[in-house]
Amino acid sequence: MTNLIAQLRKRETSGVLKTSVQQSAIADLITKAYKIRSQAPQLAAKKVAILPSPIEDLIVGLLAFDGFCEAIYLCPANTALPPVEDLHLWSFTSELSVEVKSTTTSKQTTWYMATSGTTGKPKWFGHSFEALTASIKYSDNLQKQSWGLLYQAYRFAGLQVVLQALLSSADLVDVTGHEPINQVELMALHQVTAVSATPSLWRQLLMTQQLDTLPLRHITLGGEIAEQALLTQLSRLFPKAKLRHIYASTEAGVGFVVADGQAGFPTKWLDNPSLPIELDISEQHHLLVKPQCSVESDAPLLLNSKGFMDTQDRIEIIGDRVFFLGRATGAINVGGNKAYPEKVEQVLLSCDAISQARVYAKKSAMMGELVAADVVLRSDPLITQSDVSMIKLQILKECKKQLQRFEIPTKISFVDNVAYNPSGKLNRQSIGKQHD
Amino acid sequence: MNLEQQIKDAMQQVAELSDCQLVEPIEANTLLLECGLDSLGYAMLVAQLEEDLGFDPFTELAIETYPSTFAEFLAIYKQCKSNQ
Repeated sequence: MTNLIAQLRKRETSGVLKTSVQQSAIADLITKAYKIRSQAPQLAAKKVAILPSPIEDLIVGLLAFDGFCEAIYLCPANTALPPVEDLHLWSFTSELSVEVKSTTTSKQTTWYMATSGTTGKPKWFGHSFEALTASIKYSDNLQKQSWGLLYQAYRFAGLQVVLQALLSSADLVDVTGHEPINQVELMALHQVTAVSATPSLWRQLLMTQQLDTLPLRHITLGGEIAEQALLTQLSRLFPKAKLRHIYASTEAGVGFVVADGQAGFPTKWLDNPSLPIELDISEQHHLLVKPQCSVESDAPLLLNSKGFMDTQDRIEIIGDRVFFLGRATGAINVGGNKAYPEKVEQVLLSCDAISQARVYAKKSAMMGELVAADVVLRSDPLITQSDVSMIKLQILKECKKQLQRFEIPTKISFVDNVAYNPSGKLNRQSIGKQHD
Repeated sequence: MNLEQQIKDAMQQVAELSDCQLVEPIEANTLLLECGLDSLGYAMLVAQLEEDLGFDPFTELAIETYPSTFAEFLAIYKQCKSNQ
């Protein structure tokens, strides 16, 4: 059992935290963390919420509380506090002056992070330090890196960047909260060599036309589907850089890295028990992962009989490659406009004739995706085919009244029932059972 | 109903749903982008025709260049129908 501060003390901590306004040696932040422990002994073995703070304070808090408290809740801005009893809120307002001998403790701390659910209500998932740092790499080469932080450090992806920089004694350059053009300038100023960002963020950085001013050696994409065109563009711009895209599931606390510069991942990774992370494909063509380390959550993970969790990420196998298609429950991207299935379903259900509705994405060569719907009619044995056609027109009329054009289903199928997945959610995979 | 008429009917349906006004008459050399439908309109048209006819040539034939006239659009559907 180890913790962040103990891990950092094992080696020389030469890393520096840089922001647009200041620079701090990580070694100094460690000293500050010990001060907090000695000044706030009442927090030992307690649950602590780290409220939105500047990056320096956040790192000091993580150093102080991991291995000292029972749990750390990373509370991002604009997110409701976790519904936890005896939670101590920590906001770094008090000035630290007294230096007391460091408190030693071997407490195993759980780190809780919020994920934004489809309903907007955050879900909290807890991870051990070991699980969070399982994919962190150490090497002399990595020590020379300078990491750009573009993600909020309170979220899973951002925390990974912070931990990677801290644990490999690399520098960390915080550029969150700046416009893309300033982000690139700031990263160029501090000679950032390693950047992890979502494909959308990478596209924004590319649009500045100045990304090639950075001496990038490590390029990481995560959080969204990394399509081939973007990977190719980045590898052309930075032929010497290591190009990786990451798949991570916050719920399952697992992730894997694809490093061959190709979209998707090798088909042979499916159903291969010898891999560190076991992957499989469900009957609905969802990616299944086997949670490795125990994840703590108020909503228990739903596992199948083999211990796999459904990620709700739709995948497609083409030859020796598995490609991601999108979220089974997520928004439908109609030529850049996002249509939310729940919203369209509510409109459909407001039609008298409909008892159940399921809205999903339908592939379109022109717009990427279009909205499609399966509906179940209220039972009426006397219903005729011409009634069904009439009902369809009425439904479309209602949709036109309440929805934007791109949200109106382009295909409405009348079915006997709509499919639900094991978690009781509507199954929005794009295969409808035709009734008529 | 012949294929040409089916396509024209579907165009009318999509136009009504999209509050678009189709040009009259639509002839063989009428440019698709001047018919009155926008890109979402055409995506909706292709989806509607898939409903009516049971196939989507743009997916099935992996067409890379999009037709520019009504005649070209119709020809693609005829070709795909004969392949069915």
